[in-house]
Amino acid sequence: MSDATKSVVFNAAPLFALAAIYAIVTGAVVPTLWRERRRLGATDVAVAAIFPCIAIPAAVIGGLVLHDRRPIGGHVWPPFAATLVALLPGLLLLVRWRDRGLLAAGSVRTREAEAKTTLRDRELEAVSTISNALARTHDAKAAARILLDEVGRLFDVEFTALALVSDDGREATGFVARQDGRDVDWWHDVRLDLEHEPSAIASAVFEAAPVTVYDVAGSTRVSRRLAEQVGARSGAWTPLISEERVIAVLVAVSIAAHRSFTAEELTLMQALAGEAALALDRTRSAEALERALERERLIARVARKVRSELDVRAVLEVAVHETADALGGSRCFVRLREDGRDFSVAAEWRAPGLPSVAPAVRALAVSNLALRDARTVAVEDVAADPAIADPELGGREPLLELGSRSALATPIGLVDETIGVLAVHRSTPGPWVDAEVALLEAIARELGLALHIARLLAENEQRLEQQARLLRAAQALTSELQLDVVLPRLVEQVAQLLGVDAADCYLLDPARGTLRCAAVYGLPSELVGFEFPVDKGVAGEALRSSRPVIAADYQGMADPVPHAAYAGFSGAIVAPMVWGGETLGVLGVGRVSGGPFEPAEADALEAFAGLASLALRNAETFAERTRQAQVQRGFYRIASVLGQSLSLAATYEAVAQAATEALGGSYAAVLMPRTFGLELVGAFELPERLREVLAAEPPPEVEPVGDAAAAGRLIALPAVADDERLDADWRRLLGGCGCRSLLAVPVEDPRGESAGLVLVAFRDDKTFTDDDLELARHLGDAARGALERSGLFEAERTARALAQQLARTGGLLATELDPAAVLDEVVQQAPALLGAEACTIRVLDGDELVVSAVEGEDVADLLGEASPARGRLSDDVVQSRGPVAIDDTRDDPRLAAADTVLSRGYSSYLGVPLVGPEGLLHGVLSVYGRRPRTWREEEVEALLALAANTSAALSNAELYQRVALEKERSFAILANIADGIVAVDRDGKVVLWNRAAEQITGVPSEEALGRTPAQVLQRGLESQGDAPAGDRLVSIVRGGEDVWLSLTEAVMRDPAGAVAGRIFAFRDISADRSVEQMKSEFVAAVSHELRTPLTSIYGFAETLLRQDVLFGEEERRTFLGYIASESDRLTSIVDALLNVARLDTGDLQVNLASTEVGSIVDEVVASAQVDGAVDAHQFVVDVPERPLTAEADAEKLRQILGALVDNAVKYSPDGGTVTIGAHRRGGTVELEVVDEGMGIPQGERERIFRKFYRAETAGRNAGAGGGGSGLGLFIARGLVEAMGGHIEVASQEGQGSRFWFELPLARTPIATSVD
Amino acid sequence: MTKVLVIDDEAPIRLLCRVNLEAEEMEVLEAADGPGGLELARTQDPDVVLLDVMMPGLDGWRVAEQLLVDPATKGIPIIFLTARAEFRDRARGLDIGGVDYVTKPFNPLELAPLVEDVIARVDRGERDELRHEKLAQLRALMEEG
Repeated sequence: MSDATKSVVFNAAPLFALAAIYAIVTGAVVPTLWRERRRLGATDVAVAAIFPCIAIPAAVIGGLVLHDRRPIGGHVWPPFAATLVALLPGLLLLVRWRDRGLLAAGSVRTREAEAKTTLRDRELEAVSTISNALARTHDAKAAARILLDEVGRLFDVEFTALALVSDDGREATGFVARQDGRDVDWWHDVRLDLEHEPSAIASAVFEAAPVTVYDVAGSTRVSRRLAEQVGARSGAWTPLISEERVIAVLVAVSIAAHRSFTAEELTLMQALAGEAALALDRTRSAEALERALERERLIARVARKVRSELDVRAVLEVAVHETADALGGSRCFVRLREDGRDFSVAAEWRAPGLPSVAPAVRALAVSNLALRDARTVAVEDVAADPAIADPELGGREPLLELGSRSALATPIGLVDETIGVLAVHRSTPGPWVDAEVALLEAIARELGLALHIARLLAENEQRLEQQARLLRAAQALTSELQLDVVLPRLVEQVAQLLGVDAADCYLLDPARGTLRCAAVYGLPSELVGFEFPVDKGVAGEALRSSRPVIAADYQGMADPVPHAAYAGFSGAIVAPMVWGGETLGVLGVGRVSGGPFEPAEADALEAFAGLASLALRNAETFAERTRQAQVQRGFYRIASVLGQSLSLAATYEAVAQAATEALGGSYAAVLMPRTFGLELVGAFELPERLREVLAAEPPPEVEPVGDAAAAGRLIALPAVADDERLDADWRRLLGGCGCRSLLAVPVEDPRGESAGLVLVAFRDDKTFTDDDLELARHLGDAARGALERSGLFEAERTARALAQQLARTGGLLATELDPAAVLDEVVQQAPALLGAEACTIRVLDGDELVVSAVEGEDVADLLGEASPARGRLSDDVVQSRGPVAIDDTRDDPRLAAADTVLSRGYSSYLGVPLVGPEGLLHGVLSVYGRRPRTWREEEVEALLALAANTSAALSNAELYQRVALEKERSFAILANIADGIVAVDRDGKVVLWNRAAEQITGVPSEEALGRTPAQVLQRGLESQGDAPAGDRLVSIVRGGEDVWLSLTEAVMRDPAGAVAGRIFAFRDISADRSVEQMKSEFVAAVSHELRTPLTSIYGFAETLLRQDVLFGEEERRTFLGYIASESDRLTSIVDALLNVARLDTGDLQVNLASTEVGSIVDEVVASAQVDGAVDAHQFVVDVPERPLTAEADAEKLRQILGALVDNAVKYSPDGGTVTIGAHRRGGTVELEVVDEGMGIPQGERERIFRKFYRAETAGRNAGAGGGGSGLGLFIARGLVEAMGGHIEVASQEGQGSRFWFELPLARTPIATSVD
Repeated sequence: MTKVLVIDDEAPIRLLCRVNLEAEEMEVLEAADGPGGLELARTQDPDVVLLDVMMPGLDGWRVAEQLLVDPATKGIPIIFLTARAEFRDRARGLDIGGVDYVTKPFNPLELAPLVEDVIARVDRGERDELRHEKLAQLRALMEEG
């Protein structure tokens, strides 16, 4: 392809295509641009111009290329690429053909959308601004202004206004209007009758929806006058709706030009109206609240002022002034009912220049109506209101004359009663709003309350006054408790209280039916004591009616009090004095001149009479109390003096004291009946002279008091000096002793039949009142009680002393086990017990009574005296088996002879039997008194008790002695028995340890007694089970040696079954036992000795025969060596056993011959050295003389030495020296084996030679030769002895042992062969 | 390797045990008296003890008692190997706490299997059962005799 072709194909063609595409795009955009031409901006045109501006140059360049047939700039490909790139946007636009319109008008649309959004935003902003502003403000007008300005700006209207709709929806009033940013003044005077006058506002109200009018001038729905006043062209009226009611209408009016309101604008306006309605409602309710609060504040202020005034008049002044002020009245007044009559003006406030209502008070129609109907009356126009047309109420004229055109009146109530009226007038007609009515009513209520309080206060004050006066009187009256002082003060006080000329007080004598004058004031004092019948005069009337009576015409009375003193009185009041339903008398006051008495004065007198009766009663009660207190004090004295527990004598003294003090006497004496009369037993402050006379023996007779005592009558002698009942001597005597009056009070003696007396003397003349007599009687009773108590007290004390004495004696007797000592104890105790001087115990011995114990002066020698039972006092006791008591033996000389003790100057006797168990009579216990005495019952009983104790103690002691004897006897038997006998008590302590036990256990009896067997023997003897059965074997240790006991045990039980003790009987069976044990050990030992070598022999043989193991030569030899040596050992053991058997049976053959001892010693040592190679003992051969021949069996000698050396090795430590020696000792050869071993304990030295003995501390090595079988030494000794020798041992423990034996020297020494 | 402690005062017997137990691949410790045996038992921790009774000084009963008291050794089973053949001695041995009681003379070839058997059973925790079995056998024997 040529360049020309290339340039056409790759440059021109694409450029044309480019031009074409952009031309098409341009064509597509142009219609849109044209349509939107008015809204296009420069940028839009610029954007649209891009497309033709590309298309045209492309077409031009393409034409040039086609023309020149050359590529642009000489290059084909770069322009081609550039063209392709430029094609891309055009192609894309073609592909998105539908959106082509956007190309040019895009920005227009965006701007429109933005504009729309801005408007919406502004609206929303406006709503929110209004809403915020409305929410913030509390002032409705301010809120309205914000709303209106915003509406004007938002909707571009010149005039905006808000009209309020009345609650009933009948009327609309202008609220706020705005034009040119200012309030429109005339608007708030606008009133629209919504029902009758056509207006757009009315339409909006009734339709409750926005109303728009395009051409106001031509519309009939618009109020002409308003439209003209505003100059409105077009308008929109939007209702403000709150709680489904139209409360206001928002008016938006354009003045400059007509305009229509779009639906959107109306919606917005409605939204704003909604916000405004809310705000308005809120501010309106806030305002209403504010107004209500204001009213309340006003009421509160009035109330505060009213209440802070106590003076009613001042209260009313304040009230009318405040009310007029608050309600804007021209006048305000209060009318009150005065004294049950008419309602007159009590307070008034009026505007300056107005006449007072007072002259026309009855013709005030409105307040009259309020009073009549008891309701609030509101008159809007006095001239027109038909309610007050009624001439009865007063009519309109008077009100109009007063300059009142409207009036409001409300009644002032107190509880249920109307006491007045509060009224307020205005000089102009006009309605009274609810708030005003409520205010007036509230103030009226406050006034009512204030009046009530004021009235109560006034009443209270009055009462207080009266009470204060009464109180003063009461104080004066009650400060005195004495009747004779009270009454004069009473009349004086009442006269002063009531300000009268005279006062009197009469007391009623109900028995006689008369009134007796008790006190007068302002009347002659002679009148006191004057009496008249109760039915006479004013007093009679007052008593009959039981209330004060005012005598209006005193002089003209039908039945006056018959006394001249009452003449000349013009008036009087008489009040009865009554207390607790009982009439005490009358109180009267009178006036000589002046008017009649008032009821209030009667009331005061009545109150005073009440007070007086109280004072009277008080005085009476006081007198009564005083009397009672005196008596009470007397009782108290008696009780306190006689209340103590005293002895009889002290009680008599106390009675005297109590009588003196209680009756207020000077002194007193207590006399008690004795055989020959009254005996002086107690006195208080009794003059000495009188005491002497009264205490004389026999007691003097005092008449009539003696009779009084006998008769139990109380006798009072008020005047002793003149009393004829006393004889002259007594009168003189008593007078001389300062006794002017005498009281004889009988006191019953609780023991005696007849009564005693308490004489109380008084130094002054005494009038005996009933109280005194009552007190005296009480004294008699109390004294009797005290005497009884003291009698009981004394008896109890004696009994307790006896009981204590008996308890002591009993205790002593119970611990005494010697009968003689018991008797001695009793004769010591008995006199002390009964306060007697001597005592004997006579014990019955056959037919005789023997004095076994004696105590007392001049009678000690009677001990042991035996007297025949017959004819003696003691015999009476024996015979009667009961106590015999003789108070005084002096009367009967025979009695002194009947008892030796009595003959020694004793004169009273008490004997009781000593009766033992089973009724056996032991003897007689007798006590003696020096002087005659009465044996009281309790004393006899005490001695009987002592006798019983004694008998019991005697029986005890005898029994004990018998038992002791029995015990000694048993012990003697047990002690000498051959078996060991040990007895233990219930505590396990040894009580018997007989001689045999001493021997068997090695423990002496002294050591064992009082300790337990376990402590003594280091082991217990008791069987473990409860019932010991048969013999048991028990081992104990005696001096380091086990001793075996065959033990039987017997358990002793007490009646209750508890273990009371044990007896052990035992016998020493140690000898039998140890042989048995040794045998058994021998069997074990022999068995062991035989089995051990056998084990080795058998074992090694088996081992050698093992097929599975190959042993070396050396091992085999060792095994075989062991088999051989163990076989030897077995042989030697068997030999030893044979030896033992021979020794036992005596079959031992000894071949005695001359034997060279030294060589045998050498042999033994050599053998031992071989055996003990390992142990390495040092063997020393000590044979200084060689040859040394002895008569011996060489083999046996070898055996003996072998055994000894064996032992020495066995029982001495390794490396120790064993010495074997042989010495000539005269005709004998002494052989010895000495070691340095452990030695043999002393106790063992004999036993080691016994058969089967083996040392406890077994040797180290059994070795050969029967060692360890316990036979070595046994055999050695047997062999030594068989050879005519004797083996011995010496040993020191820890150092070693030496065994030696002797053999006879050989008779013929062996010829030593040197060769 | 099973470790056997032989306590016996008789040297031949110890040798006999050693030879026969070593032939069965066991290790043998020897003590000639009680104290030596206790020491070895504490320090060497053997698997089983063959214990003679009649030994000078501390006898086998006491050795067994001490072994069974010591916490270090009480776990080691004890087989008495003694010449004391009486029933009461056997009973005593088992009462003290031995697991078996072999009377002398004994077949040395049977020693190793016995030791193995005892160790196996004790390892299985049947020590007490083993003793009770032996006691029961003994009782049966006594009743027969």
